[in-house]
Amino acid sequence: MFRTLSIIGFVGTFVGIAVCCVAFPCRKECRWSPVEILRRLVHLFTLLFLEQKLSLVGALRKLVYLLALLCFVVLTVNGFCAAVVLEKSVSGYWIMLQTTAGGVFAVCLAILAVMWAGRCRFTQSDCPWLQGILKRITRWSIQTKIKDRESDAENQKPIGHCLSVGQKITFWLLIFLALPLILSIVSSMFVFFGTDWQEFLLAVHRYTALVFALVAIVHTYLMIRFKMKE
Amino acid sequence: MVLALSAVAADKLGDESDGSQAVPVHLIELYDEEGATIRADDEQPQPFSLRKTCSECHSVEKISAGWHFNTARTNVVPGRTGQPWILVDVGTGTQIPLSYRSWPGTFRPEQLGITPWKFVQRFGRQMPGGGVGEVESDNPDEIMRQFVSGKLEINCLSCHNAHPGQDQAEYAGQIVRQNFRWAAAGACEFASVRGIAATQSDTYDPLMSDAIAVTYRENKFDHKNRVLFDITREVPAERCYFCHSNVNVDKGGSEKWTADEDVHLAAGMTCVDCHRNGLDHNIIRGYEGEDTASKNPLAAASSCEGCHTAGRLGAPVPEHPGIPPVHFDKLSCTACHSGPWPEQRTYRTKTSRAHALGTHNVNKSDEALPHIVYPVFAGQGGIGAAYRGGLVVLRGSGKIAPHKLIWPAYWGILADQKVTPIALETVKGTVSKIIVKERLPGSGDWPAITTKHITEALKSLQETIEGEAVYICGGKLYRLDGDSGQLLEKEHSAARPYLWPIAHNVRPAAQSLGVRRCEDCHSTDSPFFFGKVGIDSPVVAQQERTKTMVEFERLRPFYTWAFAFSFVFRPWLKVVALGSCAVLAVVLLLYGLKALACVVKVLAEED
Repeated sequence: MFRTLSIIGFVGTFVGIAVCCVAFPCRKECRWSPVEILRRLVHLFTLLFLEQKLSLVGALRKLVYLLALLCFVVLTVNGFCAAVVLEKSVSGYWIMLQTTAGGVFAVCLAILAVMWAGRCRFTQSDCPWLQGILKRITRWSIQTKIKDRESDAENQKPIGHCLSVGQKITFWLLIFLALPLILSIVSSMFVFFGTDWQEFLLAVHRYTALVFALVAIVHTYLMIRFKMKE
Repeated sequence: MVLALSAVAADKLGDESDGSQAVPVHLIELYDEEGATIRADDEQPQPFSLRKTCSECHSVEKISAGWHFNTARTNVVPGRTGQPWILVDVGTGTQIPLSYRSWPGTFRPEQLGITPWKFVQRFGRQMPGGGVGEVESDNPDEIMRQFVSGKLEINCLSCHNAHPGQDQAEYAGQIVRQNFRWAAAGACEFASVRGIAATQSDTYDPLMSDAIAVTYRENKFDHKNRVLFDITREVPAERCYFCHSNVNVDKGGSEKWTADEDVHLAAGMTCVDCHRNGLDHNIIRGYEGEDTASKNPLAAASSCEGCHTAGRLGAPVPEHPGIPPVHFDKLSCTACHSGPWPEQRTYRTKTSRAHALGTHNVNKSDEALPHIVYPVFAGQGGIGAAYRGGLVVLRGSGKIAPHKLIWPAYWGILADQKVTPIALETVKGTVSKIIVKERLPGSGDWPAITTKHITEALKSLQETIEGEAVYICGGKLYRLDGDSGQLLEKEHSAARPYLWPIAHNVRPAAQSLGVRRCEDCHSTDSPFFFGKVGIDSPVVAQQERTKTMVEFERLRPFYTWAFAFSFVFRPWLKVVALGSCAVLAVVLLLYGLKALACVVKVLAEED
């Protein structure tokens, strides 16, 4: 069951991302020539570098993000290869790698949560349609503000506006999923839970990891897309 | 109608229970091996034959197919490897595992020139009779001796006689005297046997002579010449102990009061509560996967898991708190629960069948051969579940379990990288003259063999055999270089130790491995992975060699060490992970509360 769901999840996510790339390109003048593709790959590679305009905190934030991304890749490949491809549990040197990367990833997530939470707060401009609903059902006195926002919203490209919201949603989802993801595996290291609960915790860890991985892939795609547009 | 009647007649009175839990009173007549009734007033009473006596009500043929009696049958699947019979000859530096079962690593007795009759003579002391004991000898030198000694029939009383006067040590003594026909009678509480068949001539006729005589207690016979047997269905542990005792010679020695009993027996159970069988005596051995090799319908339900997951017989259902489930895929239950708590070096042990414990004149020395070490944690070798094309098909397991181990030592012939043992009598004729130049220790330990002895012995053997003579001992193969005549030694597959899994004594849960912490096993100095297994060798210069436990567990040593080392950081990982979770939770809570505040304001229609 887990194997099937994983395959469906990953394939569906990557297909969705591919469709989004093709149907909603970053730029209007987007072309698919080999030169253009190569240019985009180089641009993508340069996203890994620290920009000069970044402050010390900004650089640190980016470094932590890149480290988290690396750990995520290691954990995802290591964990899902064993479970999905080889159909056995992670063992041998891979379990040591998984545990090491998992510890580092947990720390990175905590740092990113502190550093990014402020930027990822939902604001009034994030969902104009929600504001419209609230305007109808309440006597909310921000109607004038809404009018200002509405004109802004009309001028903004819908997809760029949604990306920002998408990034925020995926960010909070990741923070929320990180808790059961980490707790399920750490709590199994204590002598509180017997075999049945250990198997339950392992199942929680697996399925949470699957959802986490898919959300993280979407989040990473949205981040790349946002940076490419910048 | 006739067929139906004959089918009914095949089952005897005692073959099928009527459902009563009571044991029928066995007030019965005794019969000798000719089928004649034994009477109290017989002038020359014969020893009773249990085959004849018991077969009045029980199908002995069905019983003789049971595990304890079927070694001579060729179509019996061998199941999991078990304790072999160990042939020891101190004077030739021999200790070699023998079995009639197809257990990999054992040798068939005939490979060493041991006929079934000689096998019974040597090992019948702790056999319940039947099997090879009833095989007709076709060796011309033995046919007459077998007529004198008689056959060693299945001795039902070995197990089923509840009377405290059942003397298995006397049974063993009768075997030594070749009094096979008289052994069962001599061991029971109401008969005694005098005379020694081994000293009688080949023409001795037991019907005509009283050189070997049995005397029955007169008051045992009632007015109808019947004898009351104190028969029990539930065999007491004492009966099993005579053949299945075990002593840790390094830990308290043989004093029973220093060792803790198996937790099941301490809880009031008996051996046969788990090791059950029906009329067919296809006794449950109790290992995981036994149902692939045994037709006993309770085989699966009577393993550790079978009882302890279902709570049968009051078995506690274990929770195993804190133990990741992957351990149950890689370890047997016995790995954590059975045998002595592992120390840095394996212990030496003595067993009933290997060391004749409980018999008269037994060598009580701790150093007596054979040398068996335990516990050795090793991957199990699979269960011999079927035959295909004459070869045993192994199935399943591979889980790590505690084993007993013996390093074989024997003289053989090397051909095509395989070693065939040389018959013991051939070896004795040449090798013992060289080795017994050294004073054989009274303890029964190895003589002090040097490479010089081995070289001389191989040269001497070479003159009497065809092929290349070699000596196997201590995990090595010794051979003479063809050109220089120098002694060469190397590790060889033929010198691999023989291991058999153990399950007793079971320790209570509070004494199981891992009960304290993960580091019971997962530490760089844990005996489970890094304990030393002594290599037993008669060669003086090789006697302190050891192997590391991890080599037997089929694990990579460096990986095992690295994984164990990583547990040093485990507490830090827990702190870091929990700390990170705390930060994440605080962030979620903080912004969650802010979001809630927004919602509250909206619902309150505030700005």
